[in-house]
Amino acid sequence: MNQRVLELREVVKHYPSGGGETVRAVDGVSLTVSPGEFVAMYGPSGSGKTTLLLLAAALIVPETGSVLFDGCNVGELSERESARYRLRDVGFVFQSFHLMPNTSALDNATIKLTAEGLRLSEARRRARPWLERLGLGKRADHTPERLSMGERQRVAIARALVNEPRLLLADEPTGNLDSRRGRETLELLRDICHERNIPGLLVTHDPDARELMDRAYTLRDGHLTDSSDIAEPAAIVS
Amino acid sequence: MLFHLYRRRLRSHLAQELLAGSGIAVAVALVFGVLVANTSLTSSAGALIQQVVGSAHVQLTARSPAGFEQGLAGTVKRLPGVRSSAAVLRENVSVAGSRGATTVQMLGVTAGIVNLGSLGTKNFGAGGFRFSGGLILPAVVASAIGAEPGSRVTVLAAGGAHRVRVGAVLSGSLFGALTSSPVAIALLGVAQRLVDMPGRVTQILVQPRPGADRLVKGELLRIAGGRLDVTPADNELHLLDQAIKPNSQSTELFSAISVMVGFLLALNAMLLTMPERRRFVADLRMQGYDRRQVLLLISFQALALGIVASLVGVALGDALSSAFFHRVPTYLASAFPIGAKQIVHPTTVLAAFGCGVLATMLASLTPVLDLHEGRAVDAVFRESGGRGETINGRATRMLGIAGMASIAVVTAFVLITPGLTIVGGVALALTTLLLIPAMFAGIARALPWMGDHIRSSALVVAVSELRATSMRAVALAGIAGLAVYGSIAIGGARGDLIRGIDRATAQYFGTADIWVGTGEDIFNVNRFEPGHTAAAIARAPGVASVRSYQGGLLDVDTRRLWIRARPSQDHAMIEASQLLHGDLARATRLLRQGGWAAVSSGFADERHLHVGDAFSLPTPSRPPRS
Repeated sequence: MNQRVLELREVVKHYPSGGGETVRAVDGVSLTVSPGEFVAMYGPSGSGKTTLLLLAAALIVPETGSVLFDGCNVGELSERESARYRLRDVGFVFQSFHLMPNTSALDNATIKLTAEGLRLSEARRRARPWLERLGLGKRADHTPERLSMGERQRVAIARALVNEPRLLLADEPTGNLDSRRGRETLELLRDICHERNIPGLLVTHDPDARELMDRAYTLRDGHLTDSSDIAEPAAIVS
Repeated sequence: MLFHLYRRRLRSHLAQELLAGSGIAVAVALVFGVLVANTSLTSSAGALIQQVVGSAHVQLTARSPAGFEQGLAGTVKRLPGVRSSAAVLRENVSVAGSRGATTVQMLGVTAGIVNLGSLGTKNFGAGGFRFSGGLILPAVVASAIGAEPGSRVTVLAAGGAHRVRVGAVLSGSLFGALTSSPVAIALLGVAQRLVDMPGRVTQILVQPRPGADRLVKGELLRIAGGRLDVTPADNELHLLDQAIKPNSQSTELFSAISVMVGFLLALNAMLLTMPERRRFVADLRMQGYDRRQVLLLISFQALALGIVASLVGVALGDALSSAFFHRVPTYLASAFPIGAKQIVHPTTVLAAFGCGVLATMLASLTPVLDLHEGRAVDAVFRESGGRGETINGRATRMLGIAGMASIAVVTAFVLITPGLTIVGGVALALTTLLLIPAMFAGIARALPWMGDHIRSSALVVAVSELRATSMRAVALAGIAGLAVYGSIAIGGARGDLIRGIDRATAQYFGTADIWVGTGEDIFNVNRFEPGHTAAAIARAPGVASVRSYQGGLLDVDTRRLWIRARPSQDHAMIEASQLLHGDLARATRLLRQGGWAAVSSGFADERHLHVGDAFSLPTPSRPPRS
């Protein structure tokens, strides 16, 4: 039985705000993402969407509740174990790409592989097929400055996938793309989740993404609801 | 991984790395230049003194350039326990060639010096100089006056001028410090004739047999009989250390300020790259790099940058030192044989290099703070202001309080112990830095108020920018503050020193319109018989009077004293500007009577003397006189 399931059980994460008040970023959220399932998370800015992703990536730990992946409570991992979890199990796609300037797309894609101790030539050999799959085969030697926004996002996706992760997390991956490029990117992420039979969790503002998702939720004031309230784009606060 | 990532960093942020590297290199250059200049002063003299004394351990030495009878050399040679010995005559003279003249120390030596391996004579068989009669000049002296082997130069000494052939010019590594020292070497007999000291020497260098040091010293003390000194062979170096103190103090202060300015410069250079470094570290951690890997990466990058920048800084500092800092004060050059050679000790290189690497490492610590357990991995992306470049209010208050407290403590210490003034000055400079964030915050608050009245949008933008990058602004303010402090403190101290020396010199030489003496002999220690010369000058038309002056250098304990005698007819016996204690008119009257002396405050403090007290000094050739 495939156990690559992301499971959040009654997860609570609060932040102190500047005025002495507490922001209930995530307030008792329970969610399960099964293998091969691509789930979207909607919600206004500050609703706790990104916090949910950070919890799933073990970048922060919940105050109460648990975050389980493959049966392991990632909130209880040591710093070294959680880094290893992110390196080997998680593919994290950021909205702002975080690519190194003046460094080729290929070398940008190898960053996780070199952390595992691979020689650069070997890391490049393993990263190149991902760039080709993402349509960047002929642009592999180009630096981010010479790539379009869509191409940069695809380099960031290649970087997240190059270690063949067992969990895909994406934080507003289409935020900087036009609608056509955005749709292509989401289709790509969904296909990868389906092909590789891995769970995927997406945070987005894009209402058009709904039809590409297996499921969608809305996070509001730290609470999770279903996606029925996803309406017109004008209703989304960004 | 480390090399690979740093190569990527260099490729992606070359300009920032160059900027940071340049800041560190300039800082190291500043520190290295000052340190080299400081050590070169004593080291060049030390290297020459070591070359002169060779393997000698002890010496019988005259307390003044007047020397003692050469016959003692034979007596010393025959003493039990003496392995070898050599008599030396040292006297300041002027040598003039086709290109100019310079003051050097004449070294009159005998063949016995070969047994001590002095003056590079251990290289005798490897092309070393031969005692061929004429003068042997170091390359630096020969070059300065335009002399070459076989040419003739004029030696001005003891009121006479002598044409002498240059037997050899010393250059190359065989003779080390000798090649750049202000000396002229001649056979003892030749030197005695040139300086008009027949049958006189100034020191006898002695190498005892193994285990016979105590025996030989006892015998030498017996021969000295209280009229000569028995000292370690390199005693002159200790005298120089004493004489150099006033100069060293200002150099030390300048070194300390340079270290601080250098560190802040390096820190500021690193701060410019810090936001981007922190974001890079956060990226890596979010991708799965653990703390150990990140720490290794930060350390490696800081180390690589620090090493390369510090190496460049050492090279720059070397040039800086020889071009700007290596200036020998005239009063030292006249009393000691200080060479022009720049001496670089391995410890100096290590100190400057270590400072550069350490500053880089310390300045690189900010991303390490992000590795703290309680800190969110992506904290840098959520900070307001200039992403990690702000100083929070609590830190500002704490630094301000610490600064005020430190100023109070340091001031109290300096008031209680004035001897700690220099240390206190450096400490105050440091503690003042602690106040800069508070002052900065005050100004940042005042500016918007001014903006309301001035209505300047540029002012508002400037204030916002300053607040967003307050750490960098504070570091810049620190550099500026220290630079101003350094220039005022050092410039002021040096200005005082120079003004004091100028005034004293003007008053000292103001007692006569024309002085006849040896060039650059500011202490008037080169002696000559005025006899015929004075009479001839007195007969010249328009000459009202001719008076004779005599100065001398006398080694007493750890000091080389400048003793000066002036004729009682002079209108001033001491310089008015130099009088610290006592009455000028009474002092002048007593000095004219004879049997009285005016002494420096340093000498008086050392011997706990007050006006009217009696003291005794060893005379050059007789027992102490009061």
